[in-house]
Amino acid sequence: MWFEFKVAVRFLKSGKTQTLLILLGITIGVMVQVFLGSLIQGLQKSLVNQTVGNAPHITIIPQEKGPENLISPRGEEGFRIITFDSNRGGIGRWRSLEEYLKKVDGIKAVSPTIDGSAFALRGQKSLSVIIRGVDINAADQIYDISDRIEAGDPTLGGNNILIGNELAKELNLSVGDNLNINTSMGIDDNFIIAGIFDLRSKDLNKSWIIISRDRAQTLFDLPDQVSNIELQIKDVFTANDIANIIMSENTNINAESWQKNNQQLLTALRSQGSSSLIIQIFVIIAVTLGIASVLAVSVLQKSRQIGILKAMGITSSRVGLIFLIQGGILGTIGSIIGTAGGIGLSQLFVNLVRDEMGNPLFPIDIDIAFILISISIAILAGMIAALIPARNSAKLNPVEVINNG
Amino acid sequence: MARIIVDTNKLVKVYGKDIKNEVLHGISLKIEEGEFVSIIGPSGSGKSTLLNILAALDRPTSGRVNVNGQEIDKMDDKQLALFRNSNMGFVFQFHHLLPEFTALENVMIPNWIAKGSPSDEVKQRAIKLLDLVGLKEYEDNLATQLSGGQKQRVAIARSLMNNPPILFADEPTGNLDTESTDKVYKLLRNINKELGTTFIIVTHDKDIANRTDRVIEIVDGNIKRDFFI
Ligand SMILES: Nc1ncnc2c1ncn2[C@@H]1O[C@H](COP(=O)(O)OP(=O)(O)OP(=O)(O)O)[C@@H](O)[C@H]1O
Ligand SMILES: [Mg+2]
Repeated sequence: MWFEFKVAVRFLKSGKTQTLLILLGITIGVMVQVFLGSLIQGLQKSLVNQTVGNAPHITIIPQEKGPENLISPRGEEGFRIITFDSNRGGIGRWRSLEEYLKKVDGIKAVSPTIDGSAFALRGQKSLSVIIRGVDINAADQIYDISDRIEAGDPTLGGNNILIGNELAKELNLSVGDNLNINTSMGIDDNFIIAGIFDLRSKDLNKSWIIISRDRAQTLFDLPDQVSNIELQIKDVFTANDIANIIMSENTNINAESWQKNNQQLLTALRSQGSSSLIIQIFVIIAVTLGIASVLAVSVLQKSRQIGILKAMGITSSRVGLIFLIQGGILGTIGSIIGTAGGIGLSQLFVNLVRDEMGNPLFPIDIDIAFILISISIAILAGMIAALIPARNSAKLNPVEVINNG
Repeated sequence: MARIIVDTNKLVKVYGKDIKNEVLHGISLKIEEGEFVSIIGPSGSGKSTLLNILAALDRPTSGRVNVNGQEIDKMDDKQLALFRNSNMGFVFQFHHLLPEFTALENVMIPNWIAKGSPSDEVKQRAIKLLDLVGLKEYEDNLATQLSGGQKQRVAIARSLMNNPPILFADEPTGNLDTESTDKVYKLLRNINKELGTTFIIVTHDKDIANRTDRVIEIVDGNIKRDFFI
């Protein structure tokens, strides 16, 4: 191996222009590969993150019991309120369920929640809101509420509530003010605004009121119940699988995964992924053909040397190895420079292409596994490209070279 | 009597598949260890063909070849390659050094092929061989930076690297001026005397042939004359 390696290196060095050209080819190929891959992965991650980064990935709800439950039995005459919680009844054994969920593989956040609709009243104004009774620590793991408080503190308990900045604007509220809330069941109470949040969604900022779970239980008269349990999982793309596991291991509940409700996004991501794969395959083919053609020429150019080496007793397979090593060296060096270039290009892209606020459009995702795969593919391509030249070199007859000088 | 180192029996070589061209018509000859033999004859008579077969570079169409105790006509390509590496030294008309390597490295290559790795001992031996051919100061020159005669002397040093019992040369002085020719001849003669290496040299040069011990003349693929001087 040492000798073959030495000859391979000398051959590469002696044809400097060729070697540099071929290296440039591989470098550009791998660079495009890494840049494109990182760009698309970054884009996909940011799309997914925008969709479910601060949203439950799986929501556990009680199993629907029948159409009659869709209408609140306690609704007043002619005042049918259909909400996504009180119509179902709650989850009674939620504490044991919570313990169970915390132990399920892949789940990173468990937030039992009481949801109920209500009206926020202030002066003449009355706005429809959603009361969310949570344990703030658990909810933070999904919504990051505490980090997104604009004014006041995220302290719940008693009659403390947190409201969104849009709601605060509409009702002209600030921290410390009182707010009258009227639930759909007709219960009426006064609450104190402890903090104002910005969850980066106009909808949520306008409609959500966060309150402690205990308080919500009394407010909606759901002692020892929750309306649903929201989950976040480590790998968002396993939501369906985990939801299925949860459903198979528990009765009387439904586990709804975000994937079910976002089919279009998922289809878009998939087709984007496969089109980038096709581009990458063609890049690899082009690079392989480039290496193969240059090495084929190199075998012709070095046929005299090969003949001499054979006359001196090197076996054909070892001559072939010299060319395989050349392919491997070219692939390795080219892919390392190309990877560096691709990462550099990605950084440049992040720094140059920005939205009107001056923020990067999306983070580029430099995935080590992806890069290692790209490098291995380039090295492999180099060796495969060297196979045909190596075979040709092995066929060379030393006598011809010796006789022809 | 010395040991027979080259022994051929009814050696026939036919070139071409469709149009057959028999170049050697049944050559039988014996050469003893330590002989200094020249092969002469007109152009196209089959000298190189014969030498290449004896040197295990090519196989006869029929007939038997025994070199250094081995039946080489029955060997496959890989066995031939290994046999060449350990038993043969070659010097050719077109010196055939590897231009990517220095003079010293070229000398070491037969050993590198055999051993697969470098060693200081081998380097010392290569320097000694370069010294023997009078080119010690040129050890770091690339092969391309040497004159024709110098290249041929490096090729001779290289052919001795693996201590071969036989050294083949096909018109080793064909490209050299009289002065270089004389130098190379004396060198080969010296090695023959000092190391006891058997020499088989194809040459057009009458002077050189007359200075060898034995002349084999090939005409039209047959041995016409075979005499000692
Ligand atoms: N590879 C080959 N294929 C076909 N014919 C060949 C081949 N090599 C040699 N010949 C033919 O065999 C004959 C003998 O060639 P060879 O090279 O042995 O002659 P030579 O005696 O060495 O001549 P010269 O003195 O010119 O070197 C020639 O007619 C040549 O054309
Ligand atoms: Mg000839």
